[in-house]
Parts: sequence; structure tokens; C-alpha cells
Amino acid sequence: MKFLIVDDSNAIALMVSEMLKEMGYTSDRAVDGNDAVKKLEADNSFDFILLDWNMPNMSGIEFLKYNYENHLTETPIIMMTTENKPENIREALMFGASEYIMKPFTKDIIESKISMLNQFKKVA
Amino acid sequence: MSMEIKKEIYDFFAKFVYDKTGIFYPEKDYYRLDSRITTLMGHFQCETPDELFNLYVTKRNKDMEVVLIDLCTNNETYFFRDNKPFDALTKTIIPQKVAQNGYVNLWSAASSTGQEVLSIVMGLLENNPGFDLSKVKITATDISQRALKKANSFTYSSLDVQRGLPAMLLVKYFDQLPDGQWQFKSEFSKHLRYETLNLLTDNFKPNFYDVICCRNVLIYQNKENKQMIMQKLFDSIRSDGFLLMGSGESLIGTDITLTQSSVDGAMFFVKENQTWKKAA
Ligand SMILES: C[S@@+](CC[C@H](N)C(=O)[O-])C[C@H]1O[C@@H](n2cnc3c(N)ncnc32)[C@H](O)[C@@H]1O
Ligand SMILES: [Mg+2]
Repeated sequence: MKFLIVDDSNAIALMVSEMLKEMGYTSDRAVDGNDAVKKLEADNSFDFILLDWNMPNMSGIEFLKYNYENHLTETPIIMMTTENKPENIREALMFGASEYIMKPFTKDIIESKISMLNQFKKVA
Repeated sequence: MSMEIKKEIYDFFAKFVYDKTGIFYPEKDYYRLDSRITTLMGHFQCETPDELFNLYVTKRNKDMEVVLIDLCTNNETYFFRDNKPFDALTKTIIPQKVAQNGYVNLWSAASSTGQEVLSIVMGLLENNPGFDLSKVKITATDISQRALKKANSFTYSSLDVQRGLPAMLLVKYFDQLPDGQWQFKSEFSKHLRYETLNLLTDNFKPNFYDVICCRNVLIYQNKENKQMIMQKLFDSIRSDGFLLMGSGESLIGTDITLTQSSVDGAMFFVKENQTWKKAA
């Protein structure tokens, strides 16, 4: 499986890509929402998108809203953010995020969320 | 820290834990008691294992038992563990029983910190809009006071609520507390109370439950104790009642005659109604 990590922090992007590698997955990285749009226009074959909330240029929630209106991609999007208020989670889910990971998190939480989403895919 | 623990002390604590819980530390696993003995020393302000040993031998009280049991139980659990059994319970088994009998007696027999019970509650509400929770009489028990305390607080860390629990259900069924933890909403928890029960030494209600979940706990028991507990569970299940065990657990090694039955892709053990069996 191939992931697109959208995060402005190099440290976090690196950590997440290492975790994914340990799980046997590959990943690509975008530095903000704009970059993610560009990357997805060029290559829409990702299995999951991991999306930070707070980023310059285009934030995570702006990206979700953009995608909601422009149908850029159907790839399941997992928010991955320090924003952890119920309102944040509700808003992200309303604009099409499939899951929500609150920072700080551990590798087994990424695994748990991915296996949950894979189960839904099998049902659908 | 280098610390000398005499064999006599290992023997004592291993036997203590075995007698109280059935959890068995064979001699080759004695090293697994090291960190527990160290923690106990800290808790009871003892400088050496010998001092701790003396305390346990001479001044044993309830608290010393509780702390040791908490240390020796593995409370690992998470929401919707193994998934399928929860679908089967909340889409099929419980609604059918409620339709037949008007109510269901359900027992989570090693409920740990409560995720199993809350998953059933959420599953029922999700899969049966408007479901009347008062029709499911839930008994939830564990031996570990630490686990029970957390379960009864209905409060979970941000890591806990991300294990197995869809974000959609998190925001629907939990409130965020000022400290960032998440509490199961009281409107859904008001019928729930977790209580102390030792599967090894306590008696169970005979012929009472329609569903018993006894998952990921008997794995720590030896053959004789497993047989004994399974027999008590068998006697506690009503005719046509269901027993759910952990994935990979079975009745092997016991002489219990429950019938394996797959419901919505999940494996259950059913206490078949004898008259029904003859008619079929
Ligand atoms: C690994 S947890 C399983 C929790 C849950 N049933 C699940 O499957 O996710 C095992 C629980 O069994 C409890 N336990 C261990 N020995 C027990 C005994 N003799 N009587 C009652 N509970 C016991 C432990 O305290 C622990 O909370
Ligand atoms: Mg950021």
C-alpha cells in the first residue's frame, strides 16, 4: 500500500514514513495542501492520505473542503493532527475525512485505523 | 539495580498469585516476577525483597492482595476487539433474544477496563436505531481493582479511544473532559456498573445468562482450572444461550459440551436446548 503524507513538519513526516515502512508500506510526501493537490493531480493511485491540520498555504481542513467541492480524489483521508476537539473531529468527518488520528499517537494506532478502513472497503 | 531474590521469595509470590488468580508462573518464568516485586517494594516502601517478603508473611492485609493482583493481571483490551463478534452480538443475537424474551442477561466475565462492554452498547445503538438499552441487563466483572476503577470512571485516554474505535463513534458517544481525556456519555452508561468477581474462586449465578463473553482470560489458566471455570460458565448459561471466547480460544482440554456455531462469521459456543435438539 502507498500513502501520501501531507505535513509541513519534516520531523513528523519522517517519523510517519518510518512507521509506515516498518509496517511494509511505501509513502510519498507533500508539504502542505497545495502541494498535495499538485501531487494528486499527477498521481491519484494512493491507498491512503494522512493529512495534517495546521499547515501554511493550504491547511488540512482547507484541503478537505477543496476536495469536497472539486472531487480531486476518492482516496480515504485520515486526519493526523494535534487538533483534538470534538468540533475539529466532526468538521473533518463532515468534509470527507474517513478517520482521525490525534497526536501524539503510536504505530499501533495507525495500524488500528488502517485495518478499520480496510474492513469497510471489503464490505463496500 | 542488581537485586538478589531468593528462590523462597519467588516461590512465595508465585504461589500467592496462583492461589488467588490461577495465573501460573512456572519456575522458568520467575524472572517475570522481578519487575513486579520491585514495584511492590516501591509501593510498600521496602528496601529489599526480603523485607517485602517479611511484610507479606507477617502483616498480610487486603491492600497487599489487591496491589499484587493488579500487578499480575494483563488488562490489555481495546474497542471492538476482533470486530465480527460485536456485529454478531449487536445485529443478530441480542436483538433476536430481546424480541423472543423481552430482555437479555449479558455478562462480560473479564471486562478489564470496559472497552468490551462499551463496544456492545455502541453496537446495539448503531445497529438498532432507537434501541432500548434497559432491555439488556449487563453484568460486568473483573478481578483487577485497577481495571475496575478505570472502567467505572468511563474515562479513557486519547490513546485508548483511538484503538479500535472509529472517530465517528468517539464524537457521538464520548465527551471530552477538560484534561483531554474522553468520558463515555452518562446517558449511555447510567445502567452500567463494573464489579469484582474472581472467576477462579467465586460462584456464578446458575442458569442465568443468555450471553457470556469470557474472552482472553482463560488463556492464563492451567487445564484443571480451565475445566473448572468452564463448568461454572456452562452452568451459568441458559438453554440456547451463547458463550463468546477470544479469537483462537476453544473448549479444547475441557469436557464441556457446547455446540460451535458461526453467527455472522463469528464463532460462538451455544448451549443447545435438549428438547429442541431431539426434535430436530
Ligand atoms: C486481557 S484482559 C481481556 C479483556 C477483554 N475481555 C478483552 O478480551 O479484550 C484479561 C482480564 O482478565 C482479568 N482476570 C485475570 N484473571 C482473572 C480471574 N481469575 N478472575 C477474573 N478476572 C480475571 C484481568 O484482570 C484482565 O482484566
Ligand atoms: Mg503542521
